Amino acid sequence: MTRERRIALLGLLVPLGIIVLWQAAAMMQKTPLFPGPGKVVVALWTNYPVILKELGITLLRAAIGFAVAVVTMIPLGIFLGRVRAVGKVLEPLMDMLATLPPPAIIPLVMLFAGTGDGAKIVIIAYAAAVPLLMNTYEASHSIHPMLSKVAKSLHLSRFETMRLIDWPSSLPMIVTGARLAIASSLLVSVTSEMLLSTNGIGTYLQRSQETFKIDAGLAGIAFISLAGILVNAGVFRLEKKWLFWHYRDQRPAE
Amino acid sequence: MNAALLAERLRVPICIALVLGSWQVIFALGVVPEKYFPSIPTIAVAFWQMLTDGTVISAWATTFLRALIGLVGAAVLGIALAILSDLSPVLSRGIRYVSDVLQPIPPAAFVPMAVFMLGLGTKLYAFVIILVTVWPPYLNGVAALAGVGPVQLNTGRMFGLSNWGLLWRVKLPAALPEIFTGIRYAATISLIAVIVSEMLAGRDGIGFMIFKKAFALRTPEVFGLMFLVAINGVLLNGLVNLLRRRLTGWHIGMMERPE
Repeated sequence: MTRERRIALLGLLVPLGIIVLWQAAAMMQKTPLFPGPGKVVVALWTNYPVILKELGITLLRAAIGFAVAVVTMIPLGIFLGRVRAVGKVLEPLMDMLATLPPPAIIPLVMLFAGTGDGAKIVIIAYAAAVPLLMNTYEASHSIHPMLSKVAKSLHLSRFETMRLIDWPSSLPMIVTGARLAIASSLLVSVTSEMLLSTNGIGTYLQRSQETFKIDAGLAGIAFISLAGILVNAGVFRLEKKWLFWHYRDQRPAE
Repeated sequence: MNAALLAERLRVPICIALVLGSWQVIFALGVVPEKYFPSIPTIAVAFWQMLTDGTVISAWATTFLRALIGLVGAAVLGIALAILSDLSPVLSRGIRYVSDVLQPIPPAAFVPMAVFMLGLGTKLYAFVIILVTVWPPYLNGVAALAGVGPVQLNTGRMFGLSNWGLLWRVKLPAALPEIFTGIRYAATISLIAVIVSEMLAGRDGIGFMIFKKAFALRTPEVFGLMFLVAINGVLLNGLVNLLRRRLTGWHIGMMERPE
């Protein structure tokens, strides 16, 4: 335990070293366009109310877009996975959409829906939809045949089979898709704000650049990183709580 | 069995026909104004015109090259970081702190801050792409290097390999398949990063071109360019797969061997 702690503390030297190097480089450059960590901390302190407000808008939109994707794509994925003929035919289309980077649809959505909240939520929902759909589809058509036999021999009804067998057995994979989708919706939420500027943290970053306040922009980035870390930690805890049985069975084999 | 095989082969053409067909039906019904939803022939003609006048080819080459350079840089750096992490637990912990902080930041956020320092050229793209794509090869590399089994390690020691030899001849080859999984994921991210950066930097490349055409309300061209972006993804993936087959063919052979 003490060794663990020593490693954790000594490891901090790496980020500290980077910060020191960065500060030294900034001091040598002497330009406000390349602020050092000191300046960023000051900017962090003076700007945090604005940053938090804008970040809230961004996160809210990301959450709505993600929710839309969950509500539509999980049923669609199960449907495609269950009705094999339709799923097989549409598989190439899904593969094609998966290779298209989500931000590439921003200009197109802008044509249809303008730059408002609706347009951004559509973009975020699309970005979150791809991993959710792919994973739900994969999970629901690859249920182990043994499990179906178990359901049959227990004389479970159609509904009971779905609730007790199909759903839990495909849940781990759907959750993996959801984790990717959350990361993707955060990313696209910020990106869409930078390109279709109205409000939110992305717009804040753009403004900081336009007014040459690079230190404020970097402070904004620090908050984005913090939000990402917190969201990830939250997702991880929920996963451990709901899928404890899955991880329990997945102990390393060695 | 034969019918099933035929259906398997026809899957892709049927899918394409279905998509194109329903596209044309929506177009014919006129639910969406033509300005926003052009017919397939219109898109094809516009796409062909862009191809023949040469601007698209150079924009496409620029974008693809940027993604490729970024990906190669990220793979090399990622593997280097993974090796460093394998050498010392303290370094491993330290690099992990840095990756935890940098990983959640979207590529778009770096662009406006870096423009002043790095300009609008290759440096900017290399910086942004490497900063966001280095993590999957690195994380997979760390996990894979740590997961090399004791049997393999002891066999290597038995052959009298030094620590470096062990790393180079046993651990790295054993970890390579998993690292390639990371690189494949990184390829997807690098395309996202390059498109976004081009949209924001607003000077050249396909990302910039899509926006320019969208602002000019040239919808057929926008659809055509989006198609090209998707092709880029397929190409980059194909390239990574090719390299993976060359370098880790032994592993793929083992995985696909019938039981």
